[in-house]
Amino acid sequence: MPETTLALAARGLTKRYGRRTALSDCDLDLPRGRVVGLVGPNGAGKSTLLTLACGLSRPTAGTLRVLGAPPAADAAHLARVGFVAQDTPVYATFSVADHLRMGARLNPAWDQALAQRRIARVGLDPGQRAGRLSGGQRAQLALTVAVAKRPELLILDEPAAALDPLARDGFLRDLTEVVAELGATAILSSHLLGDVARACDHLVVLGASRVQVAGDVADLLARHHRLVTPRGGPDRLPPGVEVVRTRHTEGHTHAVVRVDGPLPPAPWRVEPVGLEELVLSYLTRAAGEGDR
Amino acid sequence: MIWTTWRQFRVPALVGVVALALVAAYVVHLGLDVRDAYDGYRAQCAGAPDCPRLRQLAVDYENTSLYLAALLGPVPGLLGMFWGAPLVARELEAGTQRLVWNQSVTRRRWLAVKLAVVGLAAMAVTGVAAALVTWAMRPVDRVADNRFSTVLFGARDVAPVAYAAFAVVLGVLVGLLVRRTVPAMAVTALVFVVVQFLVPNLLRPHLLPPEHVTLAMTASALNQARALGSITGAPVVRGLAVPDAWVTDVSELRTRTGESLDPTVFDRCVTDPPRTGAAEGPFGDTATCLAGQDLHVDVSYQPVGRYWSFQWLESGCYLSLAGLLAAVAFHRIRRRSG
Repeated sequence: MPETTLALAARGLTKRYGRRTALSDCDLDLPRGRVVGLVGPNGAGKSTLLTLACGLSRPTAGTLRVLGAPPAADAAHLARVGFVAQDTPVYATFSVADHLRMGARLNPAWDQALAQRRIARVGLDPGQRAGRLSGGQRAQLALTVAVAKRPELLILDEPAAALDPLARDGFLRDLTEVVAELGATAILSSHLLGDVARACDHLVVLGASRVQVAGDVADLLARHHRLVTPRGGPDRLPPGVEVVRTRHTEGHTHAVVRVDGPLPPAPWRVEPVGLEELVLSYLTRAAGEGDR
Repeated sequence: MIWTTWRQFRVPALVGVVALALVAAYVVHLGLDVRDAYDGYRAQCAGAPDCPRLRQLAVDYENTSLYLAALLGPVPGLLGMFWGAPLVARELEAGTQRLVWNQSVTRRRWLAVKLAVVGLAAMAVTGVAAALVTWAMRPVDRVADNRFSTVLFGARDVAPVAYAAFAVVLGVLVGLLVRRTVPAMAVTALVFVVVQFLVPNLLRPHLLPPEHVTLAMTASALNQARALGSITGAPVVRGLAVPDAWVTDVSELRTRTGESLDPTVFDRCVTDPPRTGAAEGPFGDTATCLAGQDLHVDVSYQPVGRYWSFQWLESGCYLSLAGLLAAVAFHRIRRRSG
């Protein structure tokens, strides 16, 4: 893919904190105009990848380009990327309105009307001090500041973590609308597969500090199948069929496989794979590799 | 960025301005008081060109002058602690740098504006306080002629402004390295005090090559001294003055041939001098005994005429140091992880 159509391109991206490797030799291309879900267990490197992408930390090795330039390259590049950190930091002594004023002063493309519309819709009082907001309100405020700068790429680290189920539902719906309105790309991490399934059309599975699988959601679902065979088989697989995970039940073996191309005819029962099973299969495999 | 910095800084700024106003009111009151006293002594001299009664002004206000220096001395350090150290440390502690570093402003610009706004404010506050103290004590300084002394020098004219610039940059850098507000404040205060102690004692005497003079230690010269002998019993004279000069170094007592006085001779003169019955002055027979040894000391000093050169040189040193620390801070903040 040419770089101009990529929101993010990583080559051999590695990040170590002391002796701990948070991200190991990752290659990743994320196209523009998508809502990308980044899933994986805690400690898989999701936050590391996102802080690298917004330029808050620097890779130990490898290269990373965001919207065709190194992360946080200059003020103009900063204006094109919006980021909300996991704990949604805001200035406790600033009011909600102060945050909008700060956003207006620090961002050339600031959309005050958009910001005020969002604040009103989520029911934030502009005069309220941010230190007194609930976790969910704070997340909404941080997201508003990130969105109203009208970024081309919106990076959200566990954006819905602080929200109750009802608020999360609204938040994700809202997010998809905002991304569509801005014509932007969004990358959001979550350990809740349900959130990702609802909001995202592109998926990256991180496990054991590596990219396990990445791609368009519909495409991934089309390429993965569950093969059910009598116990013991399939002992030999045709070329082009990769087993992600096998599971045994009484009398049967269930194998989640990835097939790039048409599935070769064979005496198997073929069942579709859901997104959750797909992700879990890769994560189980990654965890197994991590143990070895 | 200036608005954001101001919005974050307005409460500490307000506290600083209120404190400055209180100090200013007190110092102005004191300055008027000094001028009343000056006019009173002047009137007693009835317009004579030379007015020995005025000497009394220096005596009356000697302690006040030192007290004002002690009041002004900590101001730059306090500003470094309370304005400088939290500037970046508080952001790193609360994690808000991850909010502000993702606005369309580079970290360097962010730091530059914060440093400029708070640094200039600290310099202005200290400058006003120093100007008021200098004004209030001007009649006393003119009579006492001791503003070049170690303590008063740092509480007059432009030097305190440079101290303030240094203290704030120091606080910001320490905050950036330590990442926690309270420890950063403590480290800033400690480093500032150490620097403020080292500079007048080790650096300032050598800002320009000192002048030298040999003083014969006659009995009357010895009786001008503040003390004889050191804690270790070395043959030294302390507190010697040279007219219109800041004495930076006094050698041991030396004999005519330039050798150090034998400590046993010194000890005998101090503990058991021959009784003459006619000796005067604070050191009495000891002074007469030592004077009989035909001793001298070599004195290094800086003439009072160099006062302004020293004010500018020392300010230059502090500003250069501030610039160096700022350069380190700008280098660090680019590499710093969120």
